[in-house]
Amino acid sequence: MSKEKLAKYVYYPFRAISVLLLVVLFFPALNVARISGLINRSISLLTTGFSYGNLISNFGRAFKKGWVMESTLRLLNVSSLIICLGIIACAVGACLSLGNRKCKFLGNLTNVVGSLVSTFAMAGVWSAYQQMAATTKPSKIEPMFPGFFFVMLGMLVLMVLISVFEIYLVGKPAKDEKFEMETKFRLFLMFLPFILLTFVFSYLPLWGWRYAFFDYKAGDTLSMENFVGFKWFQQLIRNRSTTKDILNVMKNTLAMSGLGIATSWVPMAFAIFLSEIKNDRFRRVVQTFTTIPNFISWVLVFAIAFCIFSTDGFISSFMMNLGIWTEGKNFLMDGSHTWIKMLLWGLWKGLGWSAIIYIAGIAGIDQQLYEAAIVDGAGRFQKMWHVTVPGLMPTFYVLLLMAVAGILSNGMDQYLVFENSSNTAQIMVLDLYVYKMGIVKGAIPLSTVVGMLKSVISVTLLYGANTISKVIRGETIV
Amino acid sequence: MSKNKHNKKIKLKFGDVVFNIINYSVFAAFTLVCIFPFYYLFINTISDNELVRKGLINFVPKGIHFENYIRLLQVNDLFGSFAVTLARTVLGTFLMVLASAFVGYLVTQQEMWGRSFWYRFLVITMYFNAGIIPWYLNMAMLGLTNTFWAYIIPGIVAPYNIILVKTYIESAIPSELEESAALDGASHMKIFMSIILPLSKPILATITIFGAVGHWNSFQDSLILMQSAPKLYTLQHRLYIYLNTTSNLAALMSAGSTSGISKSVMDSALNGKVIKYTIAMVTIIPILLVYPFMQRYFEKGIMIGAVKG
Repeated sequence: MSKEKLAKYVYYPFRAISVLLLVVLFFPALNVARISGLINRSISLLTTGFSYGNLISNFGRAFKKGWVMESTLRLLNVSSLIICLGIIACAVGACLSLGNRKCKFLGNLTNVVGSLVSTFAMAGVWSAYQQMAATTKPSKIEPMFPGFFFVMLGMLVLMVLISVFEIYLVGKPAKDEKFEMETKFRLFLMFLPFILLTFVFSYLPLWGWRYAFFDYKAGDTLSMENFVGFKWFQQLIRNRSTTKDILNVMKNTLAMSGLGIATSWVPMAFAIFLSEIKNDRFRRVVQTFTTIPNFISWVLVFAIAFCIFSTDGFISSFMMNLGIWTEGKNFLMDGSHTWIKMLLWGLWKGLGWSAIIYIAGIAGIDQQLYEAAIVDGAGRFQKMWHVTVPGLMPTFYVLLLMAVAGILSNGMDQYLVFENSSNTAQIMVLDLYVYKMGIVKGAIPLSTVVGMLKSVISVTLLYGANTISKVIRGETIV
Repeated sequence: MSKNKHNKKIKLKFGDVVFNIINYSVFAAFTLVCIFPFYYLFINTISDNELVRKGLINFVPKGIHFENYIRLLQVNDLFGSFAVTLARTVLGTFLMVLASAFVGYLVTQQEMWGRSFWYRFLVITMYFNAGIIPWYLNMAMLGLTNTFWAYIIPGIVAPYNIILVKTYIESAIPSELEESAALDGASHMKIFMSIILPLSKPILATITIFGAVGHWNSFQDSLILMQSAPKLYTLQHRLYIYLNTTSNLAALMSAGSTSGISKSVMDSALNGKVIKYTIAMVTIIPILLVYPFMQRYFEKGIMIGAVKG
């Protein structure tokens, strides 16, 4: 095998390890610098390196009493920082390995330096551990040796070996060689930062699904001791009060989504009738003003509701000024017809906006169809029903299918702001329930289970809707 | 055209007249319902506070003054929330638009290694999420909770906006332009800066507006991620808290106010209701101000969005 080919293959494990190590930096469970029970469980190696304040947040007393030297933690902090920087350097080197010989050469140098520096910094962590273990108060400091230390050390040493080997394999570039990389890799590397961001913020949260299988309270660690398997899943069915809650929440969720779907033709009707208005200025004004509510948040919608419907809001004061009522009524605290009220608020906020897509659709309908309809003697409503509506149907289908797929996702803002003691039983939808249970009450595993089931069902529904669309219309929606 | 209209007018039948009357009335009524609350809110913030307290301002403002707006400066923490919200709106929108433009351009480049895979990797995130609790735990794990960056960094990659830009570039910018520039030796960066960015201004304006409104209206991330950093609450979160405060003005205003106005004077001059209205108004005004500019763009945005990526 030629040197070049061998070099190419040897790069694969190198890149894999550098990606792995990069990911490790983010995981608190794999933090090799957590050498004492006093170090916060939920900080990662990255945080240990970059935030000294976070690292020592629990050490105030230990420093004062002299159980631990501050220099020990400084050493730990600096070592972690160096490990992080070394690993980042290796990642950069791995990127450079996609280029020509000159890029590779530079990359190899970076790799050697990065991996060596990280490996030596591991010694810093080791020495910090030795100092920590020598404390006079082991019961308070809880020195511990992270088992992952040797795995990480092994990976780093392997990286040193590979990068040295690569230097030998790739060799020095010619003097006049320029930095070059194939276009496909250059484009990929420009894209890479955004792939990483997507991974960290959209895929990494899936790792949180493991909480569904543990007995966990904020601040605990996950270990095999508190692994409970499917306990929380079973609780949904077996625990009476939980089951009752869930059934009620599902009823509200489906009712409100159902009402939304049942009225999903309204924006289309809005657009059709609006297009019957021949006065351009009037139409423009209607469109402008009915779209505004879409751009204010639900909190502001609630502020609007507050100023119109509360005890001293518009309706009450108006009726009192007319002498019809003797005292104000607070409609917001009234728990009746909650579903309908929420639907109406949704329509108030979204109708004008949702109609825009249909208005544009109407503009795109072939005028000849209307002329032909007139020749056939069609009246106003017949033209609407036989020409306009069929022309808008494809758009309607897509939106309808999307609405069906999102039947469990009502969002929580609207219901959170309108919720109060008198309507809470009717307004509690799935998203709000998960928030209340997980964030407010701290029942993290159970709310994770509910959220997890919701995600899975939603994706399945979307997939189903997409398949239906493919079969019926020969076109996918996503 | 005008002749045509004239003809129609003559032919109007009784049924058409009835239809038009009903149709115009229904739309007029709905428009009124949409706009009146804003008007009502506004006149109640500028009218005489005593009249407002008695509920006498229904349709016409009386005793116009703007002191309520000036007094907002004394409301606890409001200014800080305003600054935080403004900062996240400007910085967050700027980074999101820049990233969307760049990524939208990159994914049109067929030569990219694994292009369709990575594009799908990005777009698919629109259709699933792990759920709010894992999301929160993830942000905590990354150390972003209770930091300003939690508002900015997760929003940089916005798949939907990336699709919008990609679709726009593919449909509105002739690929010959890029090709000839590439033949002249321009790098991808150079093509992006000097061809793609200037030519995709309309779509960038659209996503800027949507992004800015989204940041301005953001509430959930503040509510969940900033639990121990009240200084970083967004304006909407602040407003939500104020709306749910049942106590009177005194509770909202800083106790040790050095403005020289004694508390009892302030209490009589203002009441909780007015201050709540005024805060809501201040939160709405920026949206109403950019709205005329938005209108030009959002129809375009929604139509491009309808064409799937």
